[in-house]
Amino acid sequence: MTEQSIPSERYVQEVEPLFQDHQAWLEASRCLFCHDAPCARACPAGIDVAGFIRRIKERNVTGAAQLIFEANILGGTCGRVCPVEILCQEACSHTELADPIRIGRLQAYAWSRGYDQLDIPAPEKDSPGRVAVAGAGPAGLAAAAELARLGHRVEVFESGHGAGGVLRSGIPAYRLPAEVLERELGLIERLGVTFNWNREIGRDLSLDELRSAGFEAVFLAFGLGQSARVGLPGEDLRGVFWAVELLDRMRNDAQEREALVGEMGRQVVVIGGGNVAVDTACSLLRLGMEKVSLVCLEGPREMPAFPSEVSFALQEGVELHTRSRPLRIMGDEAGRVTGLEGIGIEWKEPGCFLPQNAVSIPGTEFRLQADSVVEAIGQRCPADILETLQLERSPQGLIQVEGETGRTSDPMIFAAGDMVTGGATVVQAVAGGKKAAREIHRSLQGTR
Amino acid sequence: MSEKIDLSMEFCGVRFDSPFLLAASPCTDDQEMVARAFQAGWAGAVLKTTSVEGTPVDLVYPMIVGLDHEDKRIIGLGNIDLISHHHIDLIEQRVRDLKEQFPEKIVAASMMAATREDWTAVARRLSQAGADIIECSFSCPQGTLGSKPGFMLGQDPRLAGEVTAWVKEGAGQTPVVIKITPQVADIVEVAQAVKEGGADGICASNTIPSLMGIDLDTFAPYPQVDGKSTYSGLSGPAIKPITLRVIAEIARHVDIPITGTGGASDWRDAAEFMLVGARTVQFCTAPMHYGYRIIEHLRDGLERYLRSKGLKAAEELVGRSLDYIVSHEQLPRDKKVVSRIDTQLCIKDDLCYLACRDGGHQAIELGEDRIPIMDEEKCVGCGLCLSVCPVPGCLHLEEVSDEKETTKGKAE
Repeated sequence: MTEQSIPSERYVQEVEPLFQDHQAWLEASRCLFCHDAPCARACPAGIDVAGFIRRIKERNVTGAAQLIFEANILGGTCGRVCPVEILCQEACSHTELADPIRIGRLQAYAWSRGYDQLDIPAPEKDSPGRVAVAGAGPAGLAAAAELARLGHRVEVFESGHGAGGVLRSGIPAYRLPAEVLERELGLIERLGVTFNWNREIGRDLSLDELRSAGFEAVFLAFGLGQSARVGLPGEDLRGVFWAVELLDRMRNDAQEREALVGEMGRQVVVIGGGNVAVDTACSLLRLGMEKVSLVCLEGPREMPAFPSEVSFALQEGVELHTRSRPLRIMGDEAGRVTGLEGIGIEWKEPGCFLPQNAVSIPGTEFRLQADSVVEAIGQRCPADILETLQLERSPQGLIQVEGETGRTSDPMIFAAGDMVTGGATVVQAVAGGKKAAREIHRSLQGTR
Repeated sequence: MSEKIDLSMEFCGVRFDSPFLLAASPCTDDQEMVARAFQAGWAGAVLKTTSVEGTPVDLVYPMIVGLDHEDKRIIGLGNIDLISHHHIDLIEQRVRDLKEQFPEKIVAASMMAATREDWTAVARRLSQAGADIIECSFSCPQGTLGSKPGFMLGQDPRLAGEVTAWVKEGAGQTPVVIKITPQVADIVEVAQAVKEGGADGICASNTIPSLMGIDLDTFAPYPQVDGKSTYSGLSGPAIKPITLRVIAEIARHVDIPITGTGGASDWRDAAEFMLVGARTVQFCTAPMHYGYRIIEHLRDGLERYLRSKGLKAAEELVGRSLDYIVSHEQLPRDKKVVSRIDTQLCIKDDLCYLACRDGGHQAIELGEDRIPIMDEEKCVGCGLCLSVCPVPGCLHLEEVSDEKETTKGKAE
């Protein structure tokens, strides 16, 4: 690995470059502009999709960006990372005639061309109330923006030193260029939202302290920052990594990427079948790993990762070992990873893809050579944090909320995003944040 | 926040909150529909053409045929509709009700009559009902003044001027706008005649008498009414260039306010209508195709366009393009233009080569890579290749100041 900078360049190179003007116009011209457009109905954030496509066609690209911005403060991000094949594009009426309109790319295009000419409402000067938002990931940012738009004074408390959550540290750069997030954060700041870094609610600040400080409501959106462990023998060998930390290290620092490549060797096995596992595997290939294998319990059509991401992984050259259970991580006398041992499985009960339901098939044992192993089987909210909140929990151990309102067992505390869903998409976090914000607004209006 | 742009427009002394109206058509033939349109944001509506009680209005169905081009529907729309089957007694009440419900919106009413008495009386009743503007249809292709079928009042300047005066007699303080037909030899003559008759404004212009197409299986033309057909009035995008010329000609030669209609689909078309002299723009085919909701896109698009051009009000657009129009003989002929290609954008369909070979001057050759090579000595700059190229911006015309600058056989 002598040419360290070249692999790094492939990692930051956008897989889907933006449409050029004439390409966007041609694609927008295909749109039927349906009444009560199915694409808009399928958008969790409620963007007027047919409306913004119409404006691209009419060469009013700034107007298109405005429609996107009004419904989704993270419209630029979502245009790039949404699983459009199972959302708006799947709903597109044109699918019956020919191909669906390439809505994600049109959204990314319009936002990028128009983000700097948006009409942004000035922040309310004398808003009476203060709302605290805990977590500056997609749900927190969406809630903060919506609350600011509704006239409240919003302060975001973020445990890290920058905003974005998974947008900053989880989603690979080849999907989401860093400047998109920077620009969206700029827009949020123009709405009047302020940020406090290195302040973690539950550790540095308690909910009681927020109450006494005069916040009328608190919105929790911690996300899921902690990696779950498989519990394999060999997990303490050198060369075992966890996906969340790894994606973060790759994301923002070219030198860090080079260091990683040195640490990880030439061959990697990633364990897990979700988007994080697939993102990790593809990122590692783009960083220059010679061979990346992915081992997961689920079969190819059972993997929780988006089908488009699984296809992408195959195209990139990830070797998929599906319906396979890892048994142990192998190592040498020096305490360094040498490979992964695993076995094929079948499901006891059809349709249930939990480890407990997987039955190992004798005689299908396999060994994969590897210099490193990455575990990517799931993320959770740290248990101690959840304990300190003292809120009612769901049967899955997450924060219990009332329907889509985001209301918790405490009347002044609301929650949404991954910490409530257990892990969903960016756009669903945006939708959850917006809905909770409106609920907070209704609450505060009622009490005044 | 960006600076506020003034979209409002004054026309014949009436103030509209934007230049965008619904034209007299099925879109405006029902009170609930007009109410919805106003709620959606349209500045005004011209109620579908009414007439005196007892006027026979014998509608046939089907009455609408689209003109499609390959995969695009409705590049034009043909209709064999007649005037409204609602007569003046219902319409004058409708005017009152709409004005009461929407005092900020402009309620214009279109009318037609067959006798002097009726022209004057219907105008008077509309005026007294509170209509903001009275529009007179001198150009319904299915209308007749008792003379030959298909004859339109707007085709006889003397008669048109006379009837205008009859309408003015009844209209009181209400402005009178005459809707003319482009189907005349001299549109300026007609415009001058109605102005002399006292018209406060002109609506340019009505639909074009057309034959929409023929069913190759049955040999019957479209629209087919129980096996028979007749000529339709053509509207929609296909007639926009015809309308633009009519508006421009009137604006250049007659001092009278113009409301434009006939082929505007979006804010860009509306801006073009205004640039050649229309103060307001009326829509029918576009809202029929895509609904009243297009008003949001019309307003947003026009507002952002004005801001991008450093203009503060829609008024500033009116007539701004007229000085560029000269007669053919007056066009400058001392510059040579040639077509040049951006090879980065070229997608190698080679339609430009084909067009130049079979419809032009054989000034394009193809390289081995299929990328066109322009012969700038043979190229006269006719403009056909740009017109057929599917990639916007790939080909463009450039002036060459003298012959030495042309490149023979050299690609850009």
